[in-house]
Amino acid sequence: MNEAAGAKPTRSLGSILRSRPFLAFAVVALVWIVAGFTMRGFGAYGHLRYLIELSAVIGLVAAGQTFVVVTGGIDLSVGAIITVSAVGLPLFTWQADPTGLSAIVATLAMASAIGLVNGAGVAFLRVHPMIMTLAMATFLQGLLIIIAGGSAVSVQNELVQWLGNARPAGIPAGILLWLVISAATLWVMHATPFGARLFALGANPIAAQLSGVPVIATTIAVYAVCGFTSGLAGVLLLGMNGQGYVGIGDPYLLTSIAAVVLGGTSILGGSGTYAGTIPGAILLVTITALITVVNASPGWRSILFGALILALLLLSGREAARR
Amino acid sequence: MPLLAARDVSKAFFGNPVLRGVSIVLMPGRIHALLGENGAGKSTLINLLSGALPADGGAIEINGKAIAHMSPGEAQKAGIAVVQQELSLTGSLSIAENIGLGAYPRRFGLIDYPALAAGAKAVCERVGLNEPLSTPVGQLSLGRRQMVEIAKALYREPRVLILDEPTSSLSAAETKTLIGLLGELRRDGVAILYISHRLNEVMAIAEHVTVLKDGVRTADQPLAGTDAAGLVRLMVGRDPGDLFPHWQPATERTAVLTVTGFSAGMVRGVDLTVKAGEVLGIGGLVGQGQEELLLGLYGALPAKAASATVGDARELPRNVPKANAAGIAYIPADRKREGLHLIHSILTNIMLPTFSRVPALKPRSRSSERRTAEQLARRFTIKGDLARPAQALSGGNQQKVALAKWMPQDPAVLLLNDPTRGVDVETKREIYIMLRDLAAAGKAVVLLSSDTPELVHLCDRVVVLREGRISALIERQDLSEEAIVSAAVGVEPQKAAA
Amino acid sequence: MSLAANSSQGVNPLYWPVQMRRNIGVRGLFLVILAFIIAYGILFPGLFSVFGFAKFTQSWFPLALVTMAQAILMLAGGISLAIGPLVSLGAVIAATTMTQSLGIAGGTAAVTLAGLVIGAATGLIVVKLRLPSIVVTLAGSFIIAGAALLILPRPGGTMPPWVSNLLAGGTPAAFGLLVLVVLAWKLYLATPLGLSLYAAGENPVGTYRSGASVDTALIAAYAISGLLCTGAGLFVAAQTGSGDPVIGQSFTLNSIAAAVLGGVGFLGGQGTMRGALAGSLLLSLMISVMFFLGFTPVAQYIAQGLIIVGAVALPQIRGMRK
Repeated sequence: MNEAAGAKPTRSLGSILRSRPFLAFAVVALVWIVAGFTMRGFGAYGHLRYLIELSAVIGLVAAGQTFVVVTGGIDLSVGAIITVSAVGLPLFTWQADPTGLSAIVATLAMASAIGLVNGAGVAFLRVHPMIMTLAMATFLQGLLIIIAGGSAVSVQNELVQWLGNARPAGIPAGILLWLVISAATLWVMHATPFGARLFALGANPIAAQLSGVPVIATTIAVYAVCGFTSGLAGVLLLGMNGQGYVGIGDPYLLTSIAAVVLGGTSILGGSGTYAGTIPGAILLVTITALITVVNASPGWRSILFGALILALLLLSGREAARR
Repeated sequence: MPLLAARDVSKAFFGNPVLRGVSIVLMPGRIHALLGENGAGKSTLINLLSGALPADGGAIEINGKAIAHMSPGEAQKAGIAVVQQELSLTGSLSIAENIGLGAYPRRFGLIDYPALAAGAKAVCERVGLNEPLSTPVGQLSLGRRQMVEIAKALYREPRVLILDEPTSSLSAAETKTLIGLLGELRRDGVAILYISHRLNEVMAIAEHVTVLKDGVRTADQPLAGTDAAGLVRLMVGRDPGDLFPHWQPATERTAVLTVTGFSAGMVRGVDLTVKAGEVLGIGGLVGQGQEELLLGLYGALPAKAASATVGDARELPRNVPKANAAGIAYIPADRKREGLHLIHSILTNIMLPTFSRVPALKPRSRSSERRTAEQLARRFTIKGDLARPAQALSGGNQQKVALAKWMPQDPAVLLLNDPTRGVDVETKREIYIMLRDLAAAGKAVVLLSSDTPELVHLCDRVVVLREGRISALIERQDLSEEAIVSAAVGVEPQKAAA
Repeated sequence: MSLAANSSQGVNPLYWPVQMRRNIGVRGLFLVILAFIIAYGILFPGLFSVFGFAKFTQSWFPLALVTMAQAILMLAGGISLAIGPLVSLGAVIAATTMTQSLGIAGGTAAVTLAGLVIGAATGLIVVKLRLPSIVVTLAGSFIIAGAALLILPRPGGTMPPWVSNLLAGGTPAAFGLLVLVVLAWKLYLATPLGLSLYAAGENPVGTYRSGASVDTALIAAYAISGLLCTGAGLFVAAQTGSGDPVIGQSFTLNSIAAAVLGGVGFLGGQGTMRGALAGSLLLSLMISVMFFLGFTPVAQYIAQGLIIVGAVALPQIRGMRK
């Protein structure tokens, strides 16, 4: 359970087979193979590519969410940050910059700043993360009405459109973006002292503080990172959708948490890895796609979705009560 | 006839045998001591006797009858009550509601509050708890909570009373009350099982002793005619030798930490100088501000000082990273909750202070981390695979990890909060040697201890705190248990200066 | 209030002092609420008429119930993300059964049973399989929301008019009902099983070793919590006269906010039900007062966010000063 946090120089085959990231990948592969043989069109390269492209949005949000959850927190404002980014981006358009890069940079800066405020509330005011980010989500909901006034905005920004639709070398730009963020996330978590501090903070905040971990700075940083990746997801979503509207980010709140948990990261903090969140995100999209294919009513879809998550948790996620 | 007995019980966790064929017999009207080092299996044996865990083999007998499977509730009905080391109390409930938990008197299906109040009042009087019964337990000090825990056990009118290190957080007066109470219970015919690390306490009250070593019973005999050294020999399996290392005066003694007019928490106006190469003891009764003094110096508790010199800085560290940067390290008393990350590997635990100080995004080098950790593990004789989680280690080894992790920082000042509490004799001796070695290497070692002999034999000077102020500063040549205790309770006030 | 207390009020040296101690933590909150009620009364003098009081308590009632539901789980050391879907489920069950096959009694029974069974099942999974409640209720929220959609795919169904009139008409019946719910809770807390919820939530291992039945106390708490949610759903259906499979959505997060405003902690066993109820009242009052002050929805959201953070952070800031 804590292979991510500790050093395992000699990893036996058995420990790899039992690891949650591997299990999650195995489940994805299994589902893809079975569905590929039984459902027409599922196994087509284009369809699988499309599934991963959809997973990229969840994967980006869940990257930030994994950072936060590893430290023992949770961010309930990711949905609102996505929406604010997607709806707010067109406001940052400057005539002087035809590429649209400045608008993206400004949007990401805003999203990170929102995360920063979340982190400051959690670290300085010691407000429980659930409450702080929940209040932030409510606050952003108000802000959104000011920005958008309830109508949808369509995207004119070239770079955003490129991000949402281009396929350099046949691979969607969104997937490439996800790859870059995934590599960076994994590196920060497992190959830097900062990453080690996150796990320490999540496993035992008091001991972490007494061991010299800069608790306040670290906490603020993870929420800022979460704001950043949520903003990135918002930008990507805007590019893929072509337009942004109020509520566009809502579905990503619960799914980002589900992806993190399915990937084996402890919701209590202190153990886990983004390497599990990646297959977790793909799995969620795959389940949704399968449920859509069987053409069930929305009620059955929702029940199936929930039941499958629950079943996967029961299969692999039994977490010893830690207190 | 024995009230409660274990016959040949065995228990293993994850394939590791913790108890192997252990028998113990508790007779009415007898105080029975259970001794053993940390990890010898004492707590496990208690858990088997009280139904908290099922035995793998052997039998638990009540009144001579073997009981197949017993839950804590059934054990309670059979008259077995346990005072746990880890308290079983609920902070948000009142004293009375805690005392009655699991055994509430009922009336029409509801809790009979008048009956509960009467019963709780009676047991509270016996243990000397005079706080109002409606006081939430969360507002009590640790020592008082321990007394509530004892009252809770008494409320069940036990025929067998098991106490797991009940005095570790009690004041001298509370300990005296408890010992008197145990005498009364013995006269009433209660069978008492008493676990303690304090040998003199055991020698004073118990009549029979069972000793465990590595999950095996090494002795079961009347206590009469046994001396303390003999008991230690039974526990560690060899001659105890001299527990404390030879003391040598420090050669170099420059001040590395000086504060005047220092206040933190209940600590008021303390002047203190810590010198390189010395072990400075901090003593006093429980809860006189000793811990606040250390935490304040460490930047973990808001503190003020009229003047302060800490290493090169002229001010108190405002937070822990600043304290670390100034060369101060802190080893907490509660290693499970404050010292270690139990679910993380030994290696990550050892490396954490280093991770906290190097640049956040500097790439880690697994091989150099491993080298550092292996060296430290050898130096501190920490046994076992470094990739295992810290919770797999015994208490003594955990304490060594909590100390070892600061070594890569090469701190100038080490603040230790009761480092040998609940640690077995063998590890105690190892820790003592390490502390003297560190002082010999020019470190300043500040040792807060609740164990007076430790202060006498290990320290160059001892500061005694009383009600948040320094009541005495005792130099090596004047150090004695009497000097420390009298300063702690406030008789014969000695010169207060530093 | 409870039997035990009534039978021995004069001589009982324990029950009432314990109750008084529990008020200490929420006194400040009561003062804030009083200020809001006065502000409300000035803005809308009709509050003090029977009709005004009835209408206000009706707007508060469902939030009060779900806040209790959330607070019970938080006391048990858990949390629920399935509160909203459960409210929706209660509403659609009521709107599809009461005027049809089952009648009013049957419909009420169905709503009650659904809440108890789903709650107990959730509790069983959390307690027996040792899964974190936030994760179980996250998955559960999809399942329950799906079930609500199956029963009633789009808003519709009907409620018996006289039920609507009784609960959501011009009489303060909702308030009376709330008083009954609170009394029932006090009675439950006076039983050994009820009181051990605090102990089981805060210190499960110690409570188990004390011989109290931790698992039963926790599972019972989940069942009661589920019942309160579907009950709130029935009331919402009566208010609107019909069922809506997504009507409960906002209750999940609002119930957490209200419970925390009322001083209920996340670690189990911390806080009181009177605090949680006060928190829900404060949230309701806040929303109404802002409405009467002519706040735009924008300002309402922003103010609500700030007030929640402020209320939680304030004790912390005061603590830092000391």
